[in-house]
Amino acid sequence: MFAYYLQLGLRSLQRNPVLTALMVMAIGFGVAASMTTYSVFLATSSNPIPQKSSQLYAVQVDNWGPEDSDKGEPPDSLNYTDAMALMAAHRAPRQTALYPVGVSVVPDDQSQLPSPESTYATYGDAFAMFDVPFLHGSGWGAAEDDAHAAVAVISRVLNDKLFRGANSVGRQINLDGRNYRITGVMDSWDPQPLFFDAVNTSGFSDPVQIFIPFTRAVELKMATAGNNNCNRDPGLGWDAWLHSECIWIQYWAELPDRAQAVAYRQYLHGYAAEQQRAGRFRWAPNVRLSNVEQWMDHLKVVPPEAKISLLVALGFLLICLVNTVGLLLAKFMRRAPEIGVRRALGASRKTVYAQFLIEAATVGLAGGALGLLLTGVGVLCVGLVFDPQIARLATLDLSLIALTLLVAVLSTVLAAFYPTWRAAQVQPAWQLKSN
Amino acid sequence: MLKMTHLSKVYRTEVVETYALRDFNIDVKEGEFVAVTGPSGSGKTTFLTIAGLLETFSGGEYHLDGIEVSNLNDNARSKIRNEKIGFIFQAFNLIPDLNVFDNIEVPLRYRGMKAAERKQRIMDSLERVGLASRAKHYPAELSGGQQQRVAIARALAGSPRLLLADEPTGNLDTQMARSVLELLEDIHREGATIVMVTHDPELAARAQRNVHIIDGQVVDLSEDPRFHTVHAEHTGTTA
Amino acid sequence: MLHIKPIVVALKRHKAGTVLIALQIALTLAIVCNALFIIQQRIGRLSRPTGMVESNLLAIQNRWVGVDDNATGPLIKSDLQALRQLAGVEDAISTNSFPLRGGGWSMGVRHDPDAKKPVSSAAIYAVDDHALSTMGAKLIAGRNFRSDEIVWVEQKAYAASPQIIITKALSDKLYPNGSALGKTVYITDTARPSTVIGIVEHLQVPWSGTWSDSFSDCVVLVPTQLTGNFGSYLIRSKPGQLAAITATAPRLLIKNNRLRTFSRDRGVRTFETVRAQAYKSDRGIALLMGVVCAMLLAITAAGIVGLTSFWVGQRRRQIGVRRALGATRHDILGYFLTENLLIGIAGVVIGALLAIGINLWMVTQFEMARLSMTYVAAGVVALLLLGQGAVLAPALRASRVSPVEATRSV
Repeated sequence: MFAYYLQLGLRSLQRNPVLTALMVMAIGFGVAASMTTYSVFLATSSNPIPQKSSQLYAVQVDNWGPEDSDKGEPPDSLNYTDAMALMAAHRAPRQTALYPVGVSVVPDDQSQLPSPESTYATYGDAFAMFDVPFLHGSGWGAAEDDAHAAVAVISRVLNDKLFRGANSVGRQINLDGRNYRITGVMDSWDPQPLFFDAVNTSGFSDPVQIFIPFTRAVELKMATAGNNNCNRDPGLGWDAWLHSECIWIQYWAELPDRAQAVAYRQYLHGYAAEQQRAGRFRWAPNVRLSNVEQWMDHLKVVPPEAKISLLVALGFLLICLVNTVGLLLAKFMRRAPEIGVRRALGASRKTVYAQFLIEAATVGLAGGALGLLLTGVGVLCVGLVFDPQIARLATLDLSLIALTLLVAVLSTVLAAFYPTWRAAQVQPAWQLKSN
Repeated sequence: MLKMTHLSKVYRTEVVETYALRDFNIDVKEGEFVAVTGPSGSGKTTFLTIAGLLETFSGGEYHLDGIEVSNLNDNARSKIRNEKIGFIFQAFNLIPDLNVFDNIEVPLRYRGMKAAERKQRIMDSLERVGLASRAKHYPAELSGGQQQRVAIARALAGSPRLLLADEPTGNLDTQMARSVLELLEDIHREGATIVMVTHDPELAARAQRNVHIIDGQVVDLSEDPRFHTVHAEHTGTTA
Repeated sequence: MLHIKPIVVALKRHKAGTVLIALQIALTLAIVCNALFIIQQRIGRLSRPTGMVESNLLAIQNRWVGVDDNATGPLIKSDLQALRQLAGVEDAISTNSFPLRGGGWSMGVRHDPDAKKPVSSAAIYAVDDHALSTMGAKLIAGRNFRSDEIVWVEQKAYAASPQIIITKALSDKLYPNGSALGKTVYITDTARPSTVIGIVEHLQVPWSGTWSDSFSDCVVLVPTQLTGNFGSYLIRSKPGQLAAITATAPRLLIKNNRLRTFSRDRGVRTFETVRAQAYKSDRGIALLMGVVCAMLLAITAAGIVGLTSFWVGQRRRQIGVRRALGATRHDILGYFLTENLLIGIAGVVIGALLAIGINLWMVTQFEMARLSMTYVAAGVVALLLLGQGAVLAPALRASRVSPVEATRSV
């Protein structure tokens, strides 16, 4: 019976090619617009580290006070004083302070030009915390942190470029004219959003190529390559700045279970209270502990453009569906005499339903195919609206293809329910009565 | 009132020319009740559509109420249809979306009549056909005979000079057909000119005069031997 | 207009089709109004002037490799000297930032160093006496910096300059009833005063985002050359020489000193590229909304054509009857146009309310401005016209239905 209905549906679609084309186009465009913008939304709102997102916490400590802060929220970054105090206290199983530095790789070959690489200064705990995969070697340890050691972890891409893919662990890399010993080569690693530094990257950036110890970077007076915000004039020179209330450091703690998170929050509260007692903070303790997803929400990493365009696209799809309801109604009711005859010949309501819903589904499938094509074009055009760092994340993968077809067919069948219901109301005697 | 001389109507397709009417002559006087009869495909419906200005013709002349209509444009033809002609169709042709009152109002609206006058005329004509109580009903809620009487009321409401009826009882059972016919006879007695197309000889016999059409031409019944055979063919087949 | 009542009566018998068209018009209006509004807002941002003469301007962002922050002074001096002598170069400066660069310094400007809240935020451009000529900024009061006022200092050691040039917008904010020229203001919260020695007509801040809208043309020029491992060169070419120096200037710099990098996508850019990159998402969103609007209107028009065609097809006989009863072609055309207009009016009334509702919600969600009623009015007119345009073809077809149709049996 299904094959028969399918055949009837196809024949009916061929009978009004313009109406059919109109519906297929409406569904195709609607679905394509929705899926294209959904791919961007999905990419920007995805969980960058699902296996640990509930164990990693971004730390905020209000060192500016209610006067300088935004609606009572503590600043998004820490200053050096607080970051070092938390590192020293070592209250979490693992923790790291981190900041981006502007570093270039200086090639041994004097005729080659240095190349700037995305670099972060972190503590050795960061690799285990962020589940960084290693191709060769590993991260550095606490000893290197303490020693302000000149060590580095580099990316697979950089290893391929500089060492032609050979195991470079133990070899030297020249960063800004200084040598660092390579302790590990990362395998491909590209969490997006770049959760651990969404403050400076707005969430999205090219993959990180180099990690060096935080302690080493500070010793070399490497200023942050990200944002530095001061609420007061920090005074003159590096040391004055380092010990000012200027904020520029991201701080992360790994807290494997709830109890530890609660304990750490209490500790932070206690730390702030202590600073208040000491007279540094002239306000009540104001601290935050946010896991990865809360942190991404707080920083609004999903660009408003992604949300607005998704909403507009969904509105567009809705209109396309209303349009489809109308056209299907026209198409089905035009065949009222045929339905009357079928009913008179013994077709039950159920079979009328089956016949017309299957016809609608074929329209949906055709719309889905067109939509898929247009989604492909749309995904290629994402770069026109979004930054390249975001555009590269929007791809037409298998799940999106399946979803596109599913949405097309489901929404068309949904749109067909009312017209089909109307068609099924046609009485077997309709034709006789109309005269 | 209605005078056609040497009128012809040709349907052209790419391959053939078909004469629906050929050298067609008829003269209906004011106040006459004429029945036009003829077998299927003889051209009687074509005659009616041309008489009612629903279609144009190919050659000859047609004077309606003294006006030569062949050179009139579409708007002028619409105006004549609206003011001088009342139609009664075999399939009633009431507009299903409108109730009885609104249906009768349609031609009056096109005439640009004031609301009060429209209402008066609608009620009068409904009264005339005995359906004043059904003004708010929709066509689907009425019987076939009632629908045809509404159609007659619609035709009468505009006080036309000429009433054209196309198989007015064709879709009705005998009982209802009789009452509709009696209504037409009443209307005729009051002075209307009626031209009725039918293939039912019994019905035709009620008219003052019969005009018989065969192969697109009017034939004199008394002289044409074919009449008798044709008549025989059609007796008893009222479908 | 003659036949409104019977049309309404007939529409009541075709509720589904009527509601669908009205709904489609309403939703389309709601989205198109908001989309057009977004487009206008974004385009409005795109066309803001920077206050510079943007043609013949090249920007190079430079990062020193392995040089101590205090030691870059002589390197920058040497770069500047070489750039200013390069063939095709009109003038060049070293600056920490420039309009639309994307990153820079902002500071709070105060009348009084003890004031808790600054009068306004302002972007700081640390430049020398060549800045006005290189940028093409117009000095409208006071004087330019003198070369003897320029100081060289490491970034973290910068202290408020004794002389500053500010934009007119900042001057107006500081002294709404007069000019800031010659007045003393504080650009940091230290007690170190700065005297306004000049006012430029206009200069934009480095940022293009909405967060900086409140001070988007409040800029302070300070006569300071900052040393450090990061800075920018703005280079004005002689007319017609921009393409040439875009190639020669970076080569010259590398020849001058190899230990430097230019970032991949923001290293060497003509100002045209700077502007394009700064407003990429604004332009992109405007484009996206434009495409969506066009598609929406097309789909809605197609839907109206489709449904009306269906109606005309369904009512051929009825049209024939009307014609037989005396309707002119014009009457039939008028019937369908009026019918569509009635549905359209219902649609736009709902749509206008919906448009305003959506906008109010977006205001709370995306910090958008309130929808101007002009857009709603324009959208209403546009959709009614669209409806009439779309219905025209089927309505014309209806008007050509022959009155003979009335006599045909089904």
